[in-house]
Amino acid sequence: MHDEVTQPKIVLIGNPNVGKSVLFNVLTGSYTTVSNYPGTSVEVSRGRCRIADRTYEVLDTPGMYSLMPITEEERVARKILLDDRPHILLHVVDARNIERMLPMTLQLIEAGQPLILVVNILDEAERLGMKFDLPQLQKNLGIPVVGTVMKRRQGLDDLQRIISSYQGPPPPAEPYAADLEADIVRLAGFLTAEYPLGARATAILLMQRDQEVEELVQREEGDGFPLIAPVLHSIKFSRRADLNLQISLERKRHTRKMLDGALSQEVADQLPFSERLSRLAMNPITGVPLLLLVLYFGLYQFVGNFGAGILVDFLEGTLFEEYINPAAISFLNGLTDTYWLRELLAGEYGLWTLGVRYAIALILPIVGTFFLVFSILEDTGYFPRLAMLVDRVFKQIGLSGRAVIPMVLGFGCDTMATMVTRTLETKRERVIATILLALAIPCSAQLGVILGLLSVVPGSLMVWLLVMIGVFLLIGFLSAKVLPGDNPVFYMEIPPMRLPQLRNVLVKTLTRMQSYFLEILPLFLVASVILWAGKMSGLLDVVVEGMTPVVTALGLPPQASAAFIFGFFRRDFGAAGLYDLQTAGLLSPTQLTVAAVTLTLFVPCIAQLLMMKKERGLKTALAIFFFVSLLAFSTGWALNKFLLTTGILS
Amino acid sequence: MICGFCSKEIPDEVGLNSCGGCGSRCRKIHCPYCGYANPAPGKLLGRLLQPKKKKEES
Ligand SMILES: [Zn+2]
Ligand SMILES: [Zn+2]
Repeated sequence: MHDEVTQPKIVLIGNPNVGKSVLFNVLTGSYTTVSNYPGTSVEVSRGRCRIADRTYEVLDTPGMYSLMPITEEERVARKILLDDRPHILLHVVDARNIERMLPMTLQLIEAGQPLILVVNILDEAERLGMKFDLPQLQKNLGIPVVGTVMKRRQGLDDLQRIISSYQGPPPPAEPYAADLEADIVRLAGFLTAEYPLGARATAILLMQRDQEVEELVQREEGDGFPLIAPVLHSIKFSRRADLNLQISLERKRHTRKMLDGALSQEVADQLPFSERLSRLAMNPITGVPLLLLVLYFGLYQFVGNFGAGILVDFLEGTLFEEYINPAAISFLNGLTDTYWLRELLAGEYGLWTLGVRYAIALILPIVGTFFLVFSILEDTGYFPRLAMLVDRVFKQIGLSGRAVIPMVLGFGCDTMATMVTRTLETKRERVIATILLALAIPCSAQLGVILGLLSVVPGSLMVWLLVMIGVFLLIGFLSAKVLPGDNPVFYMEIPPMRLPQLRNVLVKTLTRMQSYFLEILPLFLVASVILWAGKMSGLLDVVVEGMTPVVTALGLPPQASAAFIFGFFRRDFGAAGLYDLQTAGLLSPTQLTVAAVTLTLFVPCIAQLLMMKKERGLKTALAIFFFVSLLAFSTGWALNKFLLTTGILS
Repeated sequence: MICGFCSKEIPDEVGLNSCGGCGSRCRKIHCPYCGYANPAPGKLLGRLLQPKKKKEES
């Protein structure tokens, strides 16, 4: 038998890191080529294999998470599906995470693809106590299923046998919930051309606003498209709030049905520890106490007591105060006799005093310990669960959950998060999220510095936390009432929890510290030059005098004005100023708490203000700025009165 | 690298030119799936993050 000119194609598809390349190499041996997919920088491997006297061309696609592409990799993988018309499609999944990967299998069945499911890494899944009944899974899905351990070529014979005897396309897909199914069937009914993914999957992608697919349909249907457009538009509009959520939930439901009888955990109804922990973290009743534990040990004990207490005491109190400062100052003063130059270098607002000392002796230990805790939590996969928890709590009090995303991201960087709020669908959500971001969500490092500062005084941290939560909920609640609009639904795939890896944590911590210092050190230096210029020209005294009534109204000493002026540049700079006052014994616990609350609520930094202007326009940005400043100072004022009357912190 | 928020694999091309979105030189890689700002390690730290196993399991 001769090889035909065009050989039948086997295409490998699946998430990244499921062992696709290993399978590819095992199937093809050494006859492979790697080349860029036309017009892209994405590499695609091609090879050949011979099974039962038939030669196949084998393609390994870049990893993809769903049929809706987001990255260029995924776009290429889908393009291969659309253009290359595989004879056989091998969906490779990681047995350990089969529940998260089967939804894509269902999508591919929906798209009528000639599918074989390869359940790889079976050995490690079994070591975790997972028991598979693959014949049952095959029966449930209606497509061939083969279990493999490709690293050891286990299951290769089975796979080759199934490939050589493969019979035709999969059975029709299971229907979704009635209302959703009706829309899909209606839309699919309008599609007359022949689509590589079939009418049904094409209709669903259309509904999910897939631009490329819409263009494809427009081309294929030609004059017929104007008939489809209004139907599509009305379906999209009526389902704008929760289509993706509903589809995800339906696929999850189908996935569970498919795994029914096909997968069991060794010890009956005993979930793995990580899965139980994951559920505890997301359930409001257990999740909130868990969050408080994390905050107590991670932030209060480690960042506060260890970082801001012991480490700062050592660096600032011992190392700088006793050894470095005297030497550095006498060295700097020895450089010149000129008064203004001496002031610039090592004076009250000098480069050394405010720039270097603040950055290295005060901020470094606090931010370092904070980033360490942050990176550990990040590496365990806690953050998406935190988002889920906040979303559930939000929903119970009538707030839209989707606003959670930019807020959680705000812990990374405010400015970016303000930009991400663009992705929120309604104007109402965008404005609420921007206000909340400007108000109560400092970027993670600034949060760390403020928390570290407060941890030194017991009680302050608790009061600060309560006020923040209160303000946060109040504003969210009020704006939800005042600004009309829809309530879109928040949904995200929750990745597995995992043990943090030392290497990951260290690299992430060091990277964060490095970029943080590259960001703040110049800012601190510029700020100290400006402050020095203000002092020399007498302008600073005027500003401080102007602020004195406000500062006094908050019950703070006049010297606190300086810290607020620092805070204009960045909140962490202001917090360092507060720390100075506090160690000099100029602030009582009440005053410290009031100052910290006011500073936190204040617009975080110049960059954030500029971004608000760019994203929301000058008028909205200024309105938010004034609103936030007013709210910050009145909250500080009220808190001061409250603390003085009740005597809680004295 | 793996995104610290959604755990999806961020393709290399999204890479180290980083962000660019936020206006400041933030040295972050924003995940294309969820937007989370992952810290972008420099050359030296990056080598530490990517241990020797290269194409073993991708
Ligand atoms: Zn992500
Ligand atoms: Zn950025």
